[in-house]
Amino acid sequence: MAPSSLDERAREAGEIQRRRLIRRRRIVSGIGWALCGTALALLCISIVWIIGLVVVRGVAALRPSLFTTVTQGTGGGLLNAIEGTAVMAVGTLLLVVPFGLSAGIYVAEFPSSRWAKVIRFLADVLVGLPSIVLGYFGYVTMVEGLGWQFSVAAASITLAIISLPYVSRATEVALAEVPQELREAAYAMGAGTGTVTLRICMRLALPAVITGVLLALSVSVGETAPLLYTAGWSNYAWDGRLTGSPIGYLTYVIWAFINEPFASAHALAYAAAFLVTTFVLLISVASRLILIRRRR
Amino acid sequence: MTFRQTMAVLGGSVPASVAAVVVFLLLYAWPAIRLNGFGFLVRNTWNLGSLYAEPVRHSGVLILPGAQYGILFLIVGTLLSTAIAMALAVPVGVGAAAFLAEILPPGPRLWLSFLVEMLAAIPSVVFGLWGYAVLIPFLGQYVFPVMSRLLGWIPWLGEPTGSGYGLLTAGLVLSLMIVPLIASILRDAIAAQPMEVREAAAALGATRFETIWTVILPGLRPVLIGACILAMGRALGETMAVLMVSGNALNVLPVSIYAPVSTMAAFIVSQLDSALQDPTGLAVRALAEVALALCLIAIIVNTAARALLAGSAVTARLRR
Amino acid sequence: MPLITNKSPVLAAAAAVGLVTALAAGARATETRILETGSSLLYPLFNIWVPVYAKSHPVQITTQSTGSGTGISEAISGLAQIGASDAYLSPAIHQQHPNMLNIPLAISSQMVNYNLPGLNGEHLKLSGPVLAGIYEGKISHWDDPQIAKLNPGVKLPHQAIIPVHRTDGSGDTFILTQFLSDSTPEWAATHGYGTTISWPAVSGEIGAVGNQGMVSAVQQNPYSIAYIGISYKGATDQDKLGEAELQNKAGNFVLPDNQTVQAAAAAAAGQTPKDESMSLIFQPGAHSYPIINYEYAIVNTALPAQTATAVRDFLGWTIQSKGGNAPEFMKKVDFVPLPAAIRRLSEDQIKAIGPQRSASNP
Repeated sequence: MAPSSLDERAREAGEIQRRRLIRRRRIVSGIGWALCGTALALLCISIVWIIGLVVVRGVAALRPSLFTTVTQGTGGGLLNAIEGTAVMAVGTLLLVVPFGLSAGIYVAEFPSSRWAKVIRFLADVLVGLPSIVLGYFGYVTMVEGLGWQFSVAAASITLAIISLPYVSRATEVALAEVPQELREAAYAMGAGTGTVTLRICMRLALPAVITGVLLALSVSVGETAPLLYTAGWSNYAWDGRLTGSPIGYLTYVIWAFINEPFASAHALAYAAAFLVTTFVLLISVASRLILIRRRR
Repeated sequence: MTFRQTMAVLGGSVPASVAAVVVFLLLYAWPAIRLNGFGFLVRNTWNLGSLYAEPVRHSGVLILPGAQYGILFLIVGTLLSTAIAMALAVPVGVGAAAFLAEILPPGPRLWLSFLVEMLAAIPSVVFGLWGYAVLIPFLGQYVFPVMSRLLGWIPWLGEPTGSGYGLLTAGLVLSLMIVPLIASILRDAIAAQPMEVREAAAALGATRFETIWTVILPGLRPVLIGACILAMGRALGETMAVLMVSGNALNVLPVSIYAPVSTMAAFIVSQLDSALQDPTGLAVRALAEVALALCLIAIIVNTAARALLAGSAVTARLRR
Repeated sequence: MPLITNKSPVLAAAAAVGLVTALAAGARATETRILETGSSLLYPLFNIWVPVYAKSHPVQITTQSTGSGTGISEAISGLAQIGASDAYLSPAIHQQHPNMLNIPLAISSQMVNYNLPGLNGEHLKLSGPVLAGIYEGKISHWDDPQIAKLNPGVKLPHQAIIPVHRTDGSGDTFILTQFLSDSTPEWAATHGYGTTISWPAVSGEIGAVGNQGMVSAVQQNPYSIAYIGISYKGATDQDKLGEAELQNKAGNFVLPDNQTVQAAAAAAAGQTPKDESMSLIFQPGAHSYPIINYEYAIVNTALPAQTATAVRDFLGWTIQSKGGNAPEFMKKVDFVPLPAAIRRLSEDQIKAIGPQRSASNP
């Protein structure tokens, strides 16, 4: 029997309504994705804007003399700042690697012990402490308290404390990914805990551990506030002293010179910003590449 | 010493550092804490006193006449700038994460994720440089006047728009700094969701957007909240960028979104030199009290975040 | 070939340590190093002095602009060897640290600058009480009757005044607030003076860091007003900011220039005590400029011998009329050289730096 026209019309109406509903949902979804895409675009525009500013004005300010002359007042070069940043970076890494690795190893290898839980919790706490608080601590205890004055030692120790949890966490995560069977096989062959961890597990975990160390390097190059009160500032190359002598660093130039009403000062600030940003981004790229290669 | 003992001792540097910082701040700030009392948190005056007058005795402590310490404007400034940063960063972060995880093919997804993470690597002082050099003139001359004309009927968004230094700018710069944290955590979490969920939703006729919006994201609420709290913790402690764009208000609460503010972290940097002039030493101890307050807030916020994120596979990815 | 091998970290560490050792070994630890920090008002002058002085003397002087408050505190704590300050030490500090000296090196002054679109070419007349009212918020708009009374015939806009003040410990704040205290008894009673004061809360007011920050703040904010040291006159002129004529004690309105500053300095030179802690603010005289000050080097007499000699020699050079006080330097920052009597007092103070030669310690 042929369907009645009433049924037909009802079905048609329902069909149209369903199509309208689907279309509206598609439109809403489309708008939703458009908004999400806009969010991503906003982020990308921002980063391009920031990096673009630093690159354009920084490259314009680059000259060979920047790397060969020291800062003279509000002009001159960046030799002292570059060298100072390098010296403090090395000092920081020398301190943070043994302690950070040990903390990470202990938490990864003996996870059930109470001490490991304490270390893991406090590492998270340490990561969250603002760097200025640690800089203030460094100022009152080392610069003033111990009488070291502005010094490489005070700055490196402060930076090491700041970057400690990054190294510790990266090591812990890296070692946790080493399969347990490997350890069991090594123990079965009579190796001690030290050998198992350092010679066998670390070999596998090394790339990820290195990304943690690179992160610590990036922190020590990019920090400003804690260094203002522990390293001070110097217009001259490092004099080899670990205490009692202030030292220059690139981030100081960015902070202090952008305000000065002299074009030479602005040029130095942008050049310093360019150097710091490039270095930090290269570290970021290197970390990425290490992780990608490891996954292959 | 065995290997385990050596690792335990060296690894103890982490708890030792935290303990040293907190204990030290507490001991150093104690005279100020005792003098200022709870009023420290609700008074709105940070006054070193008459630096060139004779110190007087007050409750057994030598202080400068007129010295009074209260950080209400700092607390308000910190909370408001972080709130604005979160209000801007969360939608943008979630949206970008969803787009990255769902829409983009693997090639662009890799590059654009990396681009977003680069934003996280840029040092705070460079953000401050960009904010000071281009963002503030741009906002102050073009965006804010238009904004106050169009939205001026909403309280707090009207005239005067100032020069670009202020609460909104600080919140904006902060949001850029914390968005990568939210976006990358969420992107990984979304991508880690099993295909079965998406297939089931598709079988029921949901569009991809509806799948994300109504199925996957609600399921990720604890991760999202954890990521947000982590981001908030980072925003609360940001120093240099905020210092360079916030306008450094002293003893005033902001009256509009364009008004200058001060945050606790930026205040410590900008006031440490002034505080050192106080011959009685009270000003530095009051600053240590500010640092202690900041420390405690950061600890509470971060602990809450980790607790919320604990157990999820995402924790392992949290390297920052 | 993998870039990351097992030996890579060891190699990298060895290279880094090698680099640092090489740097340390090559470092010239032979020349004495002096850190000068403090007043942003004195900073441009130090930046001109140091390259000239260092050409003929084996010493490395780092200059820093951090504000007079920092100059004072770092000189006291020994972090810096020379603290530059527009403010002399307080009696409390003199008492607590009796071996600290404040030694005038030159005489400077302070401008009051503003940014009024269309009016920056004219010199508005302002007085101490009016400035006090502005910084208290009592005078809130540019066309306030009190400002209009001092500037008849000038078409002042009905716009809110944006006062800019220093947030760091600043000698400029010190001398401005001394001027406000000396000219306005009510300000002296409520706010007083100092390198840092508790600024009254005025809606819209801006805090800036350093004189350079003050210049930027005024330039970026129409209808703002700020106090800026004279050594930044080049910057304010370049930005075409307005400069106010201030009312001196005699009631006349003057701009800071060589004549008005010297008139004020001459009035005070005879009364300067031996420790040279003296305010030159609001001096009498028909042509005296009201905000002038000695630019001080804050030095610890207990410096170690080698550093003390270097500091003595440098400071001794700066106050000589053929040395640092020569017109070629003074003109570049619009400072005024020390009068002869003050120079002698400064020389006496400089002699006191470092271990003293005596009969038992030749």
